[in-house]
Amino acid sequence: MRRVFPGVLLAILLYAGFSSIGPLPPIGPLLDPANGVWASAAAVNFPARQLAKIPGLKDSVLVLIDDRGVPHVFASNDDDAWRALGFVVARDRLFQMEAQTRAASGRLTEWAGERALETDRESRALGLAWGAEKKAAAYDRSSPAWLAMQAYADGVNAWITSMRPRDLPLEYRLLNARPIKWEPVHSFLFLARMTLTLGLNDAATKRLNAQSHVGKAAADALFPVNSPIQEPIQPNGQAAARFDFGVLPAPGPPDSQAVLARDARRDLLVALRPPEKSEPSDAVGSNNWAVAPSRSSTRNAILAGDPHLDLTLPSVWYEMHIVVPGKLDAAGVGFPGMPGVVIGFNRDVAWTFTNTGSDVNDFYAEKVDHDSRPTRYQVDGQWRNLEKRVETYRGPGGAVLATDTLYFTHRGPMRKLLGKWLSMRWTAYEPSREPDNFLALSRTKSVNEWLYAMRDYVAPTQNGLVADRSGNIAIRSSGSYPIRPGDGRGDVIRDGSRSSNDWAGFLPVEKFPFSMNPAQGFLASANQQPVDPRQNPAYMGSSWYSPWRAMRINALLRSDSSVTPDDMRMYQTDPGSARADLFVPLFLDAARRRDSLGKGEPRLREAAALLREWDRKYVRDNRRAVLFEAAMRELNVRTWDELVDSTAIGARGITALMPETQMLLWLSRSASSTWWDNRHTREVEDRDAILASSLVAGLDSVLASNGKPDSDEWLWSNRRKANIRHLLRIPALGAFGVSLQGGPGTMNPSSGEGTQGASWRMVVELGPEIRAWSIYPGGQSGAPASTRYTDRLSQWSAGQLDPVLFPRTPSELDRRRIISTLVLKSR
Amino acid sequence: MMLRSVVKAVLLAEAFAVATFALGWWSVPIVAVLYAAASKRRYPARFAGLCAAGGWGALLLLDFAKGPVANMGTRLGGVMGVPPAVLFVLTLLFPALLAWCAATFVPQLRANRATAENPA
Repeated sequence: MRRVFPGVLLAILLYAGFSSIGPLPPIGPLLDPANGVWASAAAVNFPARQLAKIPGLKDSVLVLIDDRGVPHVFASNDDDAWRALGFVVARDRLFQMEAQTRAASGRLTEWAGERALETDRESRALGLAWGAEKKAAAYDRSSPAWLAMQAYADGVNAWITSMRPRDLPLEYRLLNARPIKWEPVHSFLFLARMTLTLGLNDAATKRLNAQSHVGKAAADALFPVNSPIQEPIQPNGQAAARFDFGVLPAPGPPDSQAVLARDARRDLLVALRPPEKSEPSDAVGSNNWAVAPSRSSTRNAILAGDPHLDLTLPSVWYEMHIVVPGKLDAAGVGFPGMPGVVIGFNRDVAWTFTNTGSDVNDFYAEKVDHDSRPTRYQVDGQWRNLEKRVETYRGPGGAVLATDTLYFTHRGPMRKLLGKWLSMRWTAYEPSREPDNFLALSRTKSVNEWLYAMRDYVAPTQNGLVADRSGNIAIRSSGSYPIRPGDGRGDVIRDGSRSSNDWAGFLPVEKFPFSMNPAQGFLASANQQPVDPRQNPAYMGSSWYSPWRAMRINALLRSDSSVTPDDMRMYQTDPGSARADLFVPLFLDAARRRDSLGKGEPRLREAAALLREWDRKYVRDNRRAVLFEAAMRELNVRTWDELVDSTAIGARGITALMPETQMLLWLSRSASSTWWDNRHTREVEDRDAILASSLVAGLDSVLASNGKPDSDEWLWSNRRKANIRHLLRIPALGAFGVSLQGGPGTMNPSSGEGTQGASWRMVVELGPEIRAWSIYPGGQSGAPASTRYTDRLSQWSAGQLDPVLFPRTPSELDRRRIISTLVLKSR
Repeated sequence: MMLRSVVKAVLLAEAFAVATFALGWWSVPIVAVLYAAASKRRYPARFAGLCAAGGWGALLLLDFAKGPVANMGTRLGGVMGVPPAVLFVLTLLFPALLAWCAATFVPQLRANRATAENPA
């Protein structure tokens, strides 16, 4: 036995060293201190001076990394700049770049095996890779963006080729994988993924779901095409929001016809991507705003960008500064995987975006030649061939895990659901040149040039805000808005066998929501309905976010005619809430009226007294916002009991299909609407009864979970936190419990899960010299061991911004701020 | 005598470190076998194991000096659900056991050969 033991142990050690055991990667290369994770940690700090080679460079490129981890790329020509950028971004974010494109192309199983199969099936069924490959194949090979993407890919591949074993990112080691070669199509895949995040919505599913419960009239009213509170992006000449509250139709009988349509659509959407939680959108959303010189303390235009997205580590953004003398000098953030600054500024112009959220995807019921194995589909009595694509899913070892046959009509991917073949047309599949649009922005010298560069932008539709050094400010909701036949609405399933149901084109750019240098002296957007239907009734979408953030930022901007850059910064985390300002009085008035009628109870008086103590600010140290939010949750559930959807599981066991919160405000104008009555009780409740019972129930739930009202458990800082997950959802690589200022409907909204939030905050003052400040949650490095992985998190949490370094030449950059100098040469 | 042992230990540890750097972790048992074959020690395996741990320990110290290795330990420990210290101990134990096991074969082989040549 003593003789055998060393041999057995050696065999075990060699096996564990070479092979994965369960989820554990091979421990040999992992723990090897010369080439494994420890060496990898040693390599995350850049050397003070470094020389590297990128084949194909025409000239040498100087990259100065400042103490915020931002690369300042100084190149003599565009091609070299993009090569260098690809190299440095890959050095910092290689795993993220590949992970995002794998997610889009449905190739995560090659890393994670069966666990990722369903996710991959969804991505491929959605046609993301199909669309991206189609776009890449058709893209103009001589366009600046294609050349940039090619050069960028060369830079990425130069880094991959030059990587030492120790440079392999931790995630690859954990997955026992190696990086793939980067190609321009990967940039298109990333864009497709982003378009999925921002540009695929289906308000019609909600409306049909509601219709199945309460009939068409009520459903149409609860999920309206036009927002009942009008505070549009394109100023409508009003000094405050307009409340278009008519009479809300009473709930009708369930519509059995809608059930089938609802299920078809819901299943389709569920098949395409995970179901969203059914809750009002008050907890998410992006903001941007700008003031003209007339309302700025410095008499220069000032612009603020504040896009909100899923919070991830590494961040979705990468900060950069690119200089090609005489041609390009732009700073800001771009996406790892795409060349160029997407949100940022140059010497003359600053720009940013919020999501428009318009309806740009439609469904068609197709007539096919064979119910289970179709080869053709019919349009206007003629059979057309279906495009067929066999998708193969492979595991980490290359073994085939599954295959799917996907079908495509001229509209897009087609799937069979509940006995029907449905195809989807989506602007994300349309020919487009977004990479050129984004790239051109950095070279514009005025607002007008910037708007021109965005004239043919397609998807996802974006509220692009721009300001220039001449004091101009403008906003336009850019993108392709389909022109549909008939009533123009896109929230119905159309008959695919008639070409007359196809899109008839797209809105011309002149019809886009737009404003430039308005009399009010400022512009803002916060995902609200972009244009007042009284000014432009064209259908652009429906079920718009409640405009609480738009109302708040507009109120702040209207009240201050001498805005400073620091004011702009503070607005980004402003704790005030138009939503709370409107709903708190409703609760308090209901309690008072109930009391005066002798229907008050001690609990209600106690709850009202506590709520009255709140100044309606979601600051960290207040102890009453938690009560208000609990009461609002109860109010939603109790009011919309008619819409209870027992198929959607939520925190309370069932989740109401909740309309936007603005609908509650509409309903509050009617004290005795039948909507208020809770069908599950014998008595007939009115508005005040529901408001009062919601407040009391809210108090009870907070007391039960948080203890006495003066305890620290009531502190808002204990209730709302940002939870930033790593891309692989490994908790140890994420950052959790990051405290925040703000709450639902505020400028810094946060969901209960805290997984969404401000992905980038920026303020730019467009004076004779550009001054800019910025922050994002995370850090420039994608290496979890690096101190630059989360070095910006505390600043971000505190609502602070870092001054951005924006040197014209290498010598303008303060030497003390440079942590590394990288010289890139071709040989 | 003592000094000679220390010098030998340093040289062997260095050999493990250089081989790991140049070839990879799997060179550890190869170096151990070569050492054991050349060694006249009675128990070369123990010495090889200690030196392998020493060689990797030295490399680990170099890593500590260059970058945030402790951060990596915390993150990786979190991923694997073990305290970071366990990973560092494992980093020393793994080469030590590899070298010990591999070096153990050589005296056994010698003993077997001696037995075969002198069966009486």
